[in-house]
Amino acid sequence: MSNFLFGRMTREDLPHVWYTIGGTATIICMCIAIAVFLTRTKRWGWLWREWLTSTDPKKIGVMYTIASAVMFFRGLIDAGMLWLQQSMAADSQGYLTAGHFQEIFTAHGDIMVFFVVMGFFFGLMNWFVPLQIGARDLAYPFLNSLGFWLYVAGAALINMFFIFGGHFADTGWLAPTPLSGLEFNPGVGVDYWIWSLQLSGLGSLLAGINFMVTIIKKRAPGMTLMKMPLFVWTTLCSTVLIITAFPVLTATMFLLWLDRFFDMHIFTSTFGGNQMMYFNLIWMWGHPEVYILVLPGWGMFSEVVAAFSQKKIFGYVSMVWAAIIITFLSFLVWLHHFYTMGPGADVNSFFAITTMLIAIPTGVQVFNWILTMYKGKVIFESPMYWFMGFVTIFTLGGMAGLLLGSPPADFQVHNSLFLVAHFHTMVMGAAIFGSFAGYTYWFPKFTGFTLNERLGKRAFWLWLIGFFVSFTPLYVLGFMGATRRLDHYAASTGWQPLFITSTVGLVIIICGIVTQIIQVIVSVREKNQNRDTTGDPWNGRTLEWSTSSPPPFYNFAVIPTVTTRDAYWEMKKNGLKPETQYADIELPKNTGMGIYISAFALLLGFAMVWYIIWLAVVGLVGIIICIILRSFDDDTEYVVPAAEVARIEASRTRG
Amino acid sequence: MKSIKFVLGILAILSLGFAVFFLLRSENALLTHPKGIIARSELELIGTNYLLMLTVVVPTLIALFWIAWKYRAKNTKAKFDPEHSSHGIFGELILWIIPSIVIAVMAFITWHATHELDPYKPLKSDVKTLKIQVVALDWKWLFIYPEEGIASLNFVQFPDSTPIHFTLSADGSPMNSFWLPQLSGQIYCMSGMITPLHIMADGPGEYTGRAAEINGEGFADMTFVAKSTTRSDFDDWVAFAKQADLELTDNNYKELLKSSINDPVTFYSHVEEGLFDKIVMKYMHPTPPAL
Repeated sequence: MSNFLFGRMTREDLPHVWYTIGGTATIICMCIAIAVFLTRTKRWGWLWREWLTSTDPKKIGVMYTIASAVMFFRGLIDAGMLWLQQSMAADSQGYLTAGHFQEIFTAHGDIMVFFVVMGFFFGLMNWFVPLQIGARDLAYPFLNSLGFWLYVAGAALINMFFIFGGHFADTGWLAPTPLSGLEFNPGVGVDYWIWSLQLSGLGSLLAGINFMVTIIKKRAPGMTLMKMPLFVWTTLCSTVLIITAFPVLTATMFLLWLDRFFDMHIFTSTFGGNQMMYFNLIWMWGHPEVYILVLPGWGMFSEVVAAFSQKKIFGYVSMVWAAIIITFLSFLVWLHHFYTMGPGADVNSFFAITTMLIAIPTGVQVFNWILTMYKGKVIFESPMYWFMGFVTIFTLGGMAGLLLGSPPADFQVHNSLFLVAHFHTMVMGAAIFGSFAGYTYWFPKFTGFTLNERLGKRAFWLWLIGFFVSFTPLYVLGFMGATRRLDHYAASTGWQPLFITSTVGLVIIICGIVTQIIQVIVSVREKNQNRDTTGDPWNGRTLEWSTSSPPPFYNFAVIPTVTTRDAYWEMKKNGLKPETQYADIELPKNTGMGIYISAFALLLGFAMVWYIIWLAVVGLVGIIICIILRSFDDDTEYVVPAAEVARIEASRTRG
Repeated sequence: MKSIKFVLGILAILSLGFAVFFLLRSENALLTHPKGIIARSELELIGTNYLLMLTVVVPTLIALFWIAWKYRAKNTKAKFDPEHSSHGIFGELILWIIPSIVIAVMAFITWHATHELDPYKPLKSDVKTLKIQVVALDWKWLFIYPEEGIASLNFVQFPDSTPIHFTLSADGSPMNSFWLPQLSGQIYCMSGMITPLHIMADGPGEYTGRAAEINGEGFADMTFVAKSTTRSDFDDWVAFAKQADLELTDNNYKELLKSSINDPVTFYSHVEEGLFDKIVMKYMHPTPPAL
């Protein structure tokens, strides 16, 4: 009976060691604190009506940003635990067991990639794709809400192992077979990995479809593809990658689940399974994923550099083609993640050369950014600092990448800390620094006031110095023969001082993050001095700056007509004419259906982790019923009458 | 104040460079102190690649900072042309051609080096090649000398200046990677598969090898000692190993299949003929492994 009710969960799976008790207590305390706050301020209804059920991309964007920030702290704590362990564990076991250490680096990688960087980018895309293309909302507002809540369900599930089970996958962030198979990993850890990533992966796929259709179908009249801002272009490329690559991830994890649940032998080493196939499949998703992470970052830098150089982007057409070529090539390089599997010289050479080809369009982008500053008037606000830092570390990391792309060199640095340093450089440079540049640049659009500059620059320097202090030792450690993922090592290797230096670097980075938190607090306090009344604090070039800060819920009272690139810049040059003619605006209604479906999906995922069949059925049936109910709901839009628009616009222009 | 900050910045960059330089020179930097022909060629390739890339990267970084400085908004003397966005088709093509040339050169070198340093490729030498079979177990390394009929655990010895041909596989262990940084780069060991690796050590020495692919709880301790000696020392060692009490019988091998961490170095005086093939072939079988 208990087998039926609870699947394979037993009393021992409840929290009983320090980190599960700590994690559970943290989660419960956070929930209680939020509940108390909401009850005291009587904001439950407000939260539900104004935020949780919203289909407004700007509100979903804010929720994505907050969720990814929360997950960032989880990933950051993981990083600190890893480096503390490695600083201590010369000739001793440190404070973590091998298995626990392995679970932490797995969680760190998955959380940072799936829940932090992707979440933050979806947040920014939700805000600025519609604003930049002159649209009022996304093509599928409900799908947007559903995608977000599936992402939240995935994030909830990946944290749930603290409460139930106490184990996450201990396999590394991509759970390679046969290590992740039933033979070597019978516990629930890998199942938590599969199902939390299935949920968030599905969310990402829905978001990808949504943004792609939005960019193709909802551009303002006159905005041809070659007149789109570059952030929209790179987002488009990124969504093409999402739509093509994420189904591969879903299928691969599904096959792994078949292996684990039905004891099939798809990826096992025995009974005709093919362990190497898993590597091929997971990296056919995994390499495009890298570009899903960095392309939007590049787009943001293109916006930032042009805006702060007060000049057109140099070589727009080259930039677009560079992004398209990278999109295409990123599907042809997956094998470079396992040259060392012994595919032979011809196969390795082919993938080495396709890998190196990517450096060409990437180099062109860097040249174009530099030439954008040429003959400009470059204002060094903090987004430009992030840009300069990005180009510096990105070229250094790129050199390491090309080195890894050469098979014989890769044989020596593969699986080493050199590799770890390389991809952290790339992701931090393009994705994290890009996010911060974009975040600082667009912050007034979110809130109506700019961020404190002095603290922003200080945060940048802390991040940059912290980056060099933490990751230079890792490059060197790779050359000292240190493989990644070691929970302890011999003191005679001479690695310990470098690991300690890395940890110091992390402390500096944390100081940078604290500075950023203080920056937000100070900026909110000083918001009256820094208020952006024009809606265009940087003398911007693209349509998002033509709206007020923050924009009205319908984005544009009148959809602008576009004739050139840098549409708003041209409009300003030709003189802005105030609009007086308004029409009715149709907007999507709020809906809680995304939350209900995701809640059932979370139940389904949880049930599948623990093999609780009845609960899985409940989850699945719930999802299906919700989808049917939603599909019969014809009343999904409401109309803002023209008079109401005129009233809102009049009160906005009055200030 | 500004110039102090500038000087401090330059000093920081220089000290970073010096720190990296001295760390790479210290004996602990295994990759920069290769002791065999393969590892040395790989290091040379790393150096060549870096030099080539620096020919583009250094000018790019100089241009980045120089242009950013020159066209800063405060510099009123610099030209300002907000419409400047292209140097024409030719100007933009140049930006594509410069990195293309470097990549073409690198691609040529890579194609050549990948074939030259292919782990499948036997090394040229007048000395007869020594064959060693490697089995990655949970979490230990078994080395079988098929011609000498001996085996050793977590320890491998071979004569210097002699081509060594490793054939690698795994048993009862997930995917592994065999890495002996001072002698050659790594290659994966997988159950039911054979991967090859050819190495040759310059002279006598003792090196540490390790498993480089995550494979479970004992991952960090899955190291082994590789000892390269003179020919006569090697022959002495073979004779010594032949005196060992243990033999690698089916039963003893079954013991090895059990997971264990930090096993001591062990020698086996006799190995059943064809054991390695049996280990590989049992994964080809449609019925459960017999061994």
